[in-house]
Amino acid sequence: MPVKFYTFRIQRNRKSREGRIESRWQEYRVEAEETTTVLTALEEIKGHQDGGLTFRQSCRSAICGSCAMKISGRTRLACKTHIGAVSRDGVVEVAPMANQPILKDLVVDIGPFFKRIRKIKPYLEEGPEANTDVGKSAYDQVNHVTQCIMCGCCYSDCTMSEVSPEFIGPAALAKAFRFVSDPREGQKTARLKDLSENHMMWSCSRCAMCVEMCPKDVAPMEAIVKLRTRGLEKGFKDGPGPKHALAFHEDIKKTGDLNEFTLMVRTIGVIGAMKEMGTMLHFMKKGKVPSPFPHKSGNLDELSKIYDILERDKPDVETKAKEVVPE
Amino acid sequence: MIADGYNLVFRKSNSGSANRISGYKESEMSLEFAYYPGCGAKQVQKEADEAARAVCQELDIGLFDMPNATCCGAVSLRETKPAFSLAVAARILSEAEAQGRDLVTICNTCLQTLSYANYRFKTEPEILEKINKVLSEAGVRPFEATIKVHHLLWVMTDLVDQTMLKSRIKRPLNGLRVAPFYGCHNLRPEHIYDGEAGEKADHLHRLIATLGGDPVSYDGQDKCCGFHVMLSDQEEMKGMVAKNCLSAKNAGAEVMISPCTLCDMAMGAYQGVAEKSVGKFIGLPEMNFAQLLGAAMEIDEKKLGLNRLHISPRPTLSARGVL
Ligand code: SF4
Ligand code: SF4
Ligand code: FES
Repeated sequence: MPVKFYTFRIQRNRKSREGRIESRWQEYRVEAEETTTVLTALEEIKGHQDGGLTFRQSCRSAICGSCAMKISGRTRLACKTHIGAVSRDGVVEVAPMANQPILKDLVVDIGPFFKRIRKIKPYLEEGPEANTDVGKSAYDQVNHVTQCIMCGCCYSDCTMSEVSPEFIGPAALAKAFRFVSDPREGQKTARLKDLSENHMMWSCSRCAMCVEMCPKDVAPMEAIVKLRTRGLEKGFKDGPGPKHALAFHEDIKKTGDLNEFTLMVRTIGVIGAMKEMGTMLHFMKKGKVPSPFPHKSGNLDELSKIYDILERDKPDVETKAKEVVPE
Repeated sequence: MIADGYNLVFRKSNSGSANRISGYKESEMSLEFAYYPGCGAKQVQKEADEAARAVCQELDIGLFDMPNATCCGAVSLRETKPAFSLAVAARILSEAEAQGRDLVTICNTCLQTLSYANYRFKTEPEILEKINKVLSEAGVRPFEATIKVHHLLWVMTDLVDQTMLKSRIKRPLNGLRVAPFYGCHNLRPEHIYDGEAGEKADHLHRLIATLGGDPVSYDGQDKCCGFHVMLSDQEEMKGMVAKNCLSAKNAGAEVMISPCTLCDMAMGAYQGVAEKSVGKFIGLPEMNFAQLLGAAMEIDEKKLGLNRLHISPRPTLSARGVL
């Protein structure tokens, strides 16, 4: 494997006497192979070039979640990331995780992240819905989300968390799904009720960033989609999120296309829509008001037949983990 | 390997599928697609549809309508009725397959929804069988999972011969600084797509360079436009629009383009609203990629629906001799 020099552009952060974070970029040259990990390079810098550089690390095996940091624009585990995969013209940019307060250099305060995890009660609760008769395939949903190592990569890159300090975030929602889908959990409905509140499961913008960036393939957004389905099945249909989602299947069943003319009123109600009048006028000026009579697609009767068949005989189409067979 | 434990959404490799058009570059045969514009382009963002059709006509790319196709349901239908959502997608894909053509769309969310379903049908035969049983019972042709789902942008950058495309650029952008806004649903999750996706995707950058423009890289180019929370989390949505547009503008962009009718609506039509909410003027003209491509090909601006844009790109484009 050829060895070459890489430039590490590292964000150095320190607290001033007044308590403000002062940031500057500092460059280091490191001799490494393409497959050298970013963490090894950081250790080389700390050990031989600048002992003051501060970062967290522990297991070096993508297990403890300590070494999460922004590497070339995205949050990744430094111990799992090969330099060759993230260097752009020989430069690797390293910065602390986003959406959490910086303490020093690449170290952030993980308190706000764990506060969110605690909020969803990350433990099994006793209650009437606990199932003691646990079958062989009972964990095929749980398994998807138990791989989470609480590294916070998803939270750091989450596009909703970036603009909403209230949003519960992907990791907490994936963890909530882990309990909602556990047959032994006794409070599934109560959990889904809590998750239907503002800034919980319906606030995810579905950008799939967390699916892409999670180093453990937890795919939090997939868990969020499933939480929403289960919440709707339990009858938690209030609020713009659920109403918007329900409008889709009503429209497709009826006319095939979405009726965008009535969608706003159906989602946020008449009063909410009235508040949007200014925006609507702006749209009208550009001829952008959808027709109240949307186009009907051909052979519409097929849709209602499909819908009825599926309602009668609900096939299970959820994604599942493969059954783990011990060797 | 953790990923090996999963057989479904986490599989990273694309399965093989019929590649009817891979020979296009070599043989110069014409490209033909079943065209799926999506609800956004049919109802509100009509200019994207008009521009797509105009550009394809000029380049001799056949776009064939799909009279039976419905709304894809986006992730919303997946949340309310997961099985119905797959059946709706299978019915759409089957209509394209019956035409003997791959499907092409101009909406990122339709692309993701149909690619997700197609990926599952190709990698989970038991799911395809279940859904096909329902389609047959309802009198719909079963889907054989032999076609691909494309974005029209990928067609322009990866399937159309680039020398030929360059020769059709009559009004090059003359170094116009263009911000590419990729959005989410043509990039993530990477493994479900038939075209270039994920972090390495650079199709918009390449298109801008082909048109003679200067692609501007900025933080936010592959983030979320906020369209899907426009009604449920209005302030947050405006925050996303403002952040992305400001980041592009601060990087020196004069115009922004997107490959998605929904991103167009968020970043273009809602930019004024977002400005008010953050108390900062932005004024960055945003247009669909097909509109800018069409302008560079000297297609009449009425045909491209430039008048329907909320912040006119006219002064900027005229200054560079594009209009
Ligand atoms: S879901 Fe993935 S990215 Fe998020 S905290 Fe867990 S392991 Fe990390
Ligand atoms: S899909 Fe939802 S939870 Fe995941 S990063 Fe995007 S907004 Fe955040
Ligand atoms: S050091 Fe433990 S995950 Fe990287």
